[in-house]
Amino acid sequence: MKSSIEKLAEKGFLFSAVLSASITILILSFMVYFSFPLFKGGDIAQFFTLEWNPYEGGFGIVPMMVGTGIIASLALLIATPFGIGCSALISVFSTGYFGRFLRKVVEFMTGIPTVIYGFVAIFLLVPFIREIFEKGTGMCVLSASIMLALLILPTIVLFISDAFNSVPKNYLDAADSLGATPAQKLVYVIIPSAWKGIISALVLAAGRAVGDTLISLMIAGNALQIPGGLSDAARTLTAHIALIIASDYESPEFKSIFVCGLILFIFTTLIVLVLRLMGRFKILRDR
Amino acid sequence: MNRFVEYQIKLFCWISGIVLISAIGVLMAFLFHKGISSLNLSLIFGETRPLDGLLLKTEVVDGLFPAIVGTLLLILTSIIWAIPIGVAGGIYLAEYCNKKWKPGFNLMLDILAGIPSILVGLFGFAVAVFLHKHLSEHIYPCFLISSLALACLVLPYIIRTTEQSLVNLPFFIKTTGLALGASRLQNILFILIPYNLSRIISGIILAIGRCAEDTAVIMLTGVVFMAGIPNSLLSQYEALPFYIFYISSDYNSQDDLMKGFGSCIILLSICVFLFALSHILKRRAALRFATQ
Amino acid sequence: MKIKFAICLAGIFVFMMAGISFVVAGDLERFESVKGTLRIAGGTAHIPVMKEAAKRIMAVNRDIKITIAGGGSGVGIKQVGEGLIDVGNSGRKATDDEIKRYGLKMHKFAIDGIAVVVNLKNPVVKMKKSELIDVFSGKISNWKALGFKNRGINVYTRDASSGTRKVFWKRALNKGEIIKSANFVKSHGAMKSAINVDPYGIGYISIGYLDDTVAPVSLDDVSPTLENVLKGDYKIARGLYMNTKGEPSGLTRLFIDYIMSKEGQKIVEDKGYIAVRK
Repeated sequence: MKSSIEKLAEKGFLFSAVLSASITILILSFMVYFSFPLFKGGDIAQFFTLEWNPYEGGFGIVPMMVGTGIIASLALLIATPFGIGCSALISVFSTGYFGRFLRKVVEFMTGIPTVIYGFVAIFLLVPFIREIFEKGTGMCVLSASIMLALLILPTIVLFISDAFNSVPKNYLDAADSLGATPAQKLVYVIIPSAWKGIISALVLAAGRAVGDTLISLMIAGNALQIPGGLSDAARTLTAHIALIIASDYESPEFKSIFVCGLILFIFTTLIVLVLRLMGRFKILRDR
Repeated sequence: MNRFVEYQIKLFCWISGIVLISAIGVLMAFLFHKGISSLNLSLIFGETRPLDGLLLKTEVVDGLFPAIVGTLLLILTSIIWAIPIGVAGGIYLAEYCNKKWKPGFNLMLDILAGIPSILVGLFGFAVAVFLHKHLSEHIYPCFLISSLALACLVLPYIIRTTEQSLVNLPFFIKTTGLALGASRLQNILFILIPYNLSRIISGIILAIGRCAEDTAVIMLTGVVFMAGIPNSLLSQYEALPFYIFYISSDYNSQDDLMKGFGSCIILLSICVFLFALSHILKRRAALRFATQ
Repeated sequence: MKIKFAICLAGIFVFMMAGISFVVAGDLERFESVKGTLRIAGGTAHIPVMKEAAKRIMAVNRDIKITIAGGGSGVGIKQVGEGLIDVGNSGRKATDDEIKRYGLKMHKFAIDGIAVVVNLKNPVVKMKKSELIDVFSGKISNWKALGFKNRGINVYTRDASSGTRKVFWKRALNKGEIIKSANFVKSHGAMKSAINVDPYGIGYISIGYLDDTVAPVSLDDVSPTLENVLKGDYKIARGLYMNTKGEPSGLTRLFIDYIMSKEGQKIVEDKGYIAVRK
C-alpha cells in the first residue's frame, strides 16, 4: 500500500518535471511550426532584407535585428562601468553604512516593474533628451538604452558583488599582509580572480537587455529604420512582435514575428550555454 | 599603482554609487510628486460608490478597480497552476532525478527562465489561435490563456527555489527521518519541505511579483483596456500593468495622465510589498541555518 | 498577504452573486432580459463611442459583459473574420477579398474625417497638400521651410494595420511614401498625446479626437471640421464601420441596433463624429 503511494508520488513528481521541461520544447516547436512554411518555401531570404513594407511585399526584419543589437549593446556599455563601480563600492570601498544602503537600493530596484520605468521615462527622460539633441522626438536609441541600463544594473551589481565577495579570503589576507590599499586589492586581486563572475553577469544582463519588450516599445520610437545616430528612433525585435501580433494570421507579416521569436529563442539558448561554460548560472537573479 | 590612479578608482566607484542612487531617487520622487495627489478612492472606483463597486453591485467603469481585481485574480490563478507543478518538479530534480537526465532538465529550465517574456506571450497567443481553429470556437486569447502563460513564465523560479532549498539542507536533517524509519516520500513531505518552507514560499512570492509586473505576456494573451471584472476563465480582463502601458501613450487629458501616475504607485506598492516579504522570509530561512 | 488573499476570495465569491439591474426607459430597454459577453476590437477611432455605449449598457444590466480592445482596423476585420471577436471595428471599408473570405457584413454607423495635427506651439496651421506630401515623404525635413523654427520635422505615423493610415495614405498623400524614420504610434489617443508633448511633431488623427491639446492643420485652406466633411470640401474622410461575420444575431444584433438607435447616434455626435442617421 505504502509503496504504491510512493510510486504514484514519484510518477507525479517525474510528470511535473517533464511537463515543465517540455514547455521549452513546446515553445520552440511552435516557433518552428509557424515559421516553417517559410523555410520550406525558400522565402526565408525575404526576411533578411532591410525593407519592412507589408503593402508592397517587404518583410525585412534586419532593421529590427540591428536595432535590438544597438540598443542592447549601448545599454550594456552604459551599465557595465557603473555596475562594476557600484559592486566595488559595496564589496570593497564602503563595507559600512553606505555600501549596505546601496545594496538595499539595488535590491529594491529589482522589484520595480519594467512598465513603471517606461512610464516615468516618457515624461521625465524623453523631453529632456529631446531638448538636449535639439532634433528628433526624444524617443530614441539613447533614451531606451539609458532606461535599459538602469533596468539591467541590479542584475549586474548583485551578481558581480557576489563574485567579489566569493574571492577566497586567503588571497585578500595575503594582499593585506603585503600592505595593499583597497584600490590595489580591487585591481590586482579581486577583479582578476572574479573575472568569470563579471563576464557571467554581463552575459546575463545582455540576455535581459535583448529580451526586454516594454522599455523599447515605449520609448525607442519604433521607427522602421537602421538608426544612424543616438537621437534616431529604432525598433527592437521584441517591440516588433508586440506591434505586429495583431495582423492577419495567414500573412507573411504574422509569420515573420515567429522568425523574430526563433531568433530570440536561439539567442537565449546561446546565452544559457555560454553561462554554463562559465560555470555560473544563478537563475533567480535573472528575469 | 600611484596614488592618483588609486584616488581616481575610488572616486569613480563612489560616483557610480551616488549616480545610481540619485537616478532611482529622482525617478521615485518624480513618480510620487506627480502621482500622490491622484491617490484617492475615486481613482479606484470612479464615479461608482466604493461599497457598490466592492460588492460588485455596479460595474466600475472609470476607476482602476477592475484592473486591480484583474491583476490579483491573474496572480492567484497563475500561482494555482504553477505551485503544484513547480514544487513537484523541484522535488523530483532534488531527490529523484538521476545524474544522466539532470543536465537535460537543467538546460530546458534555464532556457525557459531566460526566454524573453514576450516569447512566452507569443507562445500563449499562438496556442490560443491554434486551439480556436482546431478545438473549440470558444477559445481565444483570454484570462485562462494569460494565466497559463504566466505560469510557464514563473515555473522555473519555483522549481529552482524548491530544488535549491532541498539540496542545500544539512546532511543530518536529510537523513534523520530516514534513519527513524520514514519512507522517502514521508521524509520529503513531512520533514524536508516543512523544514525549509519559508525559503520555498519566498521563491513563490518572488514569482507572484513577476506575475504582478509582467506586461509583455498579458499584452499578447487577452488583456484589454475595458472589460470590467472577468466573470469566467474564458473572458477577457483588465490588468494594472497593461493599464499603465496603455495610459502612457493614450491619455486623453491631464486627468487621465494623473490616473496613470496613481496606478504606477499602486502597482509599485504591490510589487515592493511582495518583494520585501520574500526578502524577510529568505532572511528568516538563512537565520535558521545559521543557528543550527 | 492574508489580506490580499481575503480580497481575492471575496472577489471570487462576489463573482457568483447575481447582479442587480436597474430599470431605465429608452433605447436601452432591449438589453434588460439578455445576458452574455460581447467582444469588440479593432479601429481606435471607434473607441470613445463603443466605450460610452458599453458603459450605459452595462449599467442597465450586470449580466452583460462588453470588452473593448484596440489594435487597428486590420485587427478588427481579421479577428472578427476568424471568429475571435463579435464586432470588429474598422475605419475603412473591408476589401472585397476580406468580405468574400470571411463573409463579412459591414454596418456603417458614423462618418469621420482625418485631420493633420501639429503641436500647439507650432504656428504652421496651414499647408498645401503638396507640402504635406513632401513632409511625410521626407522631402521637406525642416520646419524652417514652412515658417517655423530651424528644427527637424518629427513625422508620426500609425502601423500597417491602421485603417486611418490607409485612408490618409490614399486621400491625403496620394499613395505617396512615408519616411522611414517616422515614429510609430498605436492609436489615435497615442498620436494625440505624442503630438501634444512634441513641439516639432506632425501626425494625423480622427476629427472626433480633436481637442484643444493639439492644433489642426488646414489643407489648401480647408480646415478639418465636420461641416467641411459634410459639405464634401474636406476630402480626407471615411466611414466608421462595425463588421460582423455574417448577419449579426443575439447580443451582437442588439448592440448594433443600439448604436444605430437615436440614443446611439447621439453618442456618435457627442464624441465628435457625424451620425449616419439623424
